[in-house]
Amino acid sequence: MAEATVITDPYTDAAERLKTLTKVMTTKAAIAQTPKELVWTLNKAKLYRYTPVLPKEKRHPIPLVLVFALMNRPYILDLRPGHSFVEYMVNKGYDLYLLDWGAPGPEDKNLKFDNYTLDYMPRAIRKLKATFGVEQFSLLGWCIGAILTTIYAALRGDQDGLRNLILLTAPLDFSNKQGLTFARWTDERYFDVDKVLAAFGNMPGEMIDYGAKALKPVENYIGNYVKLWDNIDDPRIVESWHAMNTWVTDNVPLAGGAFRQLIVDLYRKDKLMRGELVIRGERVDLSRIHANLLTVIAEDDHITPSCQSEPIMSKVSSADKELFKVRGGHIGIMAGSGASKFTWPHIDGWLAPRSK
Amino acid sequence: MGEDPTQDGKRFDPLDAWRGVRDIYMDAWSKNMVEMVNTEAYAQATGAMLDTYLTASTPFREALEKAMVKTLEQLAMPSRADVVSIAERMTNIEMRLDDLDAKLDTIQRLVTQAVGPPPQPRKAQQPAKKTVTAKKAKRGKK
Repeated sequence: MAEATVITDPYTDAAERLKTLTKVMTTKAAIAQTPKELVWTLNKAKLYRYTPVLPKEKRHPIPLVLVFALMNRPYILDLRPGHSFVEYMVNKGYDLYLLDWGAPGPEDKNLKFDNYTLDYMPRAIRKLKATFGVEQFSLLGWCIGAILTTIYAALRGDQDGLRNLILLTAPLDFSNKQGLTFARWTDERYFDVDKVLAAFGNMPGEMIDYGAKALKPVENYIGNYVKLWDNIDDPRIVESWHAMNTWVTDNVPLAGGAFRQLIVDLYRKDKLMRGELVIRGERVDLSRIHANLLTVIAEDDHITPSCQSEPIMSKVSSADKELFKVRGGHIGIMAGSGASKFTWPHIDGWLAPRSK
Repeated sequence: MGEDPTQDGKRFDPLDAWRGVRDIYMDAWSKNMVEMVNTEAYAQATGAMLDTYLTASTPFREALEKAMVKTLEQLAMPSRADVVSIAERMTNIEMRLDDLDAKLDTIQRLVTQAVGPPPQPRKAQQPAKKTVTAKKAKRGKK
């Protein structure tokens, strides 16, 4: 049967493109579709368990808990079907959990790293262990989530049964001030953290978003949209762009107390790596981390350069540790087109034998 | 069947050359901007802008907050501070509930260890069909 020839004029083409552009700019993509159930909740925090797809005897006995940053939504780990780290790991037989911090309200402005690491995380882990009858678990922390998991691992890791620790693009060392744009912007000569928090309570998501985008202003404010327009006829690229844009524009505030600690204790004073960070009266000693450690560094990361993540390798007491460098940016290594070829298989390859 | 308008299957686009120039220009612009935002001067300028905004807006914000609190008070409605206070108390209650939950889990585990696992529910009676089949089989043997 002969195919009908579709004749389109430039005006119809342009109208179609504008229609697609309007759709992706004004609607939210369907994201985070891997089935999950709520296991535990406290304040805004929620612990989800992803529904396993393999029978119990084929699954790894050690569960994996994902901990994402405080100021972004964690569904970047489960962006869309066929392109989801969560889906990939569930299919590989992991009993997978996600600790979602939620969005802090005005009543949470005093929440600090102390609360997240000594109230929320131990409680979530306790519930996981009690409900599913496991003694050990693995943790994967990404970005600020990696700061939290590192602090938790040092303070409670051994006691709670932490076996494996995976740190993705972890901003832990702040000694190289010249290499850190954020450190320059938040220098005490220019940035009054108390004045900002007195005005807003929590650090607004929009301001954090501006900070992240302003590191590469042309790419983020112009190049990103130019790339979309150039590929507007390719449904595969448009779908991917739509999902990522949904995530990028869905910002959450950062609790005031945690933001103050991030700026003052870490960016300005580098207390964690110097062994001076005190969490609820207890010094965070990184040499108390004994869990198997995998540190993943994004080679083109402009938010967390490798100088921030590498030094932890020499500070921990883990006998089994590995540093893995992968090409890509801060988010791209886990959500970009190469993630399913490089980063995810490497994480699975490292974790699987350590989850027996 | 429709034919491709060009030999190599790709339409001629007069804007391709323009796109090439545009990309080169944007790359150069991007590098310059990245260098610019990395300077002390940029940090100082953005810090000063934020500081000015906060200094200018604070009196208005405080005045608005005071007026709002008074208005809500007159209307016998809770203020933002009241709602925040209740939310904080709710979180504290949740913490206590979680503590109780932890204790219950511990008690349940200890009881299970001491007494053994709970008895399995009694098996349902064998369906009548099976008995009939067995009888039939016996009859068959006879």
